[in-house]
Amino acid sequence: MPSETRSFAIQGRSDVVVAGSQGRRFAVRHGLDVRRATELAIVVSELASNIVKHGVRGEIRLIWSPETPPHGEIAVEAHDVGPPIHDLQLAMTDGYDDRGPIDPALILRRGGLGTGLGAIARLADRLEVREEAGGKVLTARFLLR
Amino acid sequence: MSESEDPHVVVTSERLQSVIEALSYASVDEFESCLSLLERSGELRDEFSELETAFSIFVRELGEAKSELNRTLAQQEAINRELEAKLETIEVQQAAIRELSTPIIEVWASVLCLPVVGIVDSQRSAEMTETLLETIVSKQARMAIVDITGIDVMDTKTADHFIKMARAVRLLGAECIISGINPGIAQTLTHIGVDLTGIRTLRSLRDALQLYLRETEQLVVHQHSQLARKLSSET
Repeated sequence: MPSETRSFAIQGRSDVVVAGSQGRRFAVRHGLDVRRATELAIVVSELASNIVKHGVRGEIRLIWSPETPPHGEIAVEAHDVGPPIHDLQLAMTDGYDDRGPIDPALILRRGGLGTGLGAIARLADRLEVREEAGGKVLTARFLLR
Repeated sequence: MSESEDPHVVVTSERLQSVIEALSYASVDEFESCLSLLERSGELRDEFSELETAFSIFVRELGEAKSELNRTLAQQEAINRELEAKLETIEVQQAAIRELSTPIIEVWASVLCLPVVGIVDSQRSAEMTETLLETIVSKQARMAIVDITGIDVMDTKTADHFIKMARAVRLLGAECIISGINPGIAQTLTHIGVDLTGIRTLRSLRDALQLYLRETEQLVVHQHSQLARKLSSET
């Protein structure tokens, strides 16, 4: 079976909403149950929000690969041309960004709780980060069961 | 040497002048005037008239190319205008999407309702808190009902933040009711061990409104009975 890829350019908040809802549809179409599809949509949403917040501009790619053992997977890739993540381990800690703890008083101004990466790690089966020329790629994988 | 092999061409300065004038017309895109000048002076048949003919062919082609270019440019401009109009529409829709993501409705006097549908990520959760708290203050609301019937999954931290939002509402002197919690969210909340004391949760928005009405009615009845007692003690 051939794989399928869909891409969404992320430039503003409304692109985040669109990518999230499209992600959910994509996931349901390729066999995730509604609950997991919604979890995937949240992950898409968190990744896209991060692109808007830190990444200057970027793209979300949804990739369905039926050949991946054991039963195929759906990968959510977030490509951006932003700065690298300074400290991934730190960034994945809830209430932290990649440089340290987030002052609760600044949550509204920075536009988030600092729990996005943590959420992605919790909801996806795997999370990978790799640097690319001029940017980075975060990949969250959802295995089909 | 015969006359035809004479290397010199004799041209009157008038003809030369006319070619120069023709060229100056061409330089300001007046191709018609340019051509008529060249053709008028091309009545004589000599070597110079060949040059004039070559010039007029060149100018005609230039004129055609230029008008073709202008046509294309005009088309492009029309396309650009259309595109700009579309971009404007997109911007308006983007604003609408942003607004729709946290609609706060005053469903009853001093009762606000925030229906949450779609996908809730950490950023949206932070935005909702901000908007809800600000609206409670600006509308002097006494109760906020956050209805999450439309949500089946939330990340644990986001769910935790929702509960914190409810506490923040109480700090502002209003009451916060969370209605429409579905089994999935209920499991998420208990799984992370969120302390739900002091936070009212009801099955539906309808139950939440009924509760409010019942309580305010009791308050009114209570006030009435106090007033009645006061009046009876005075008489």
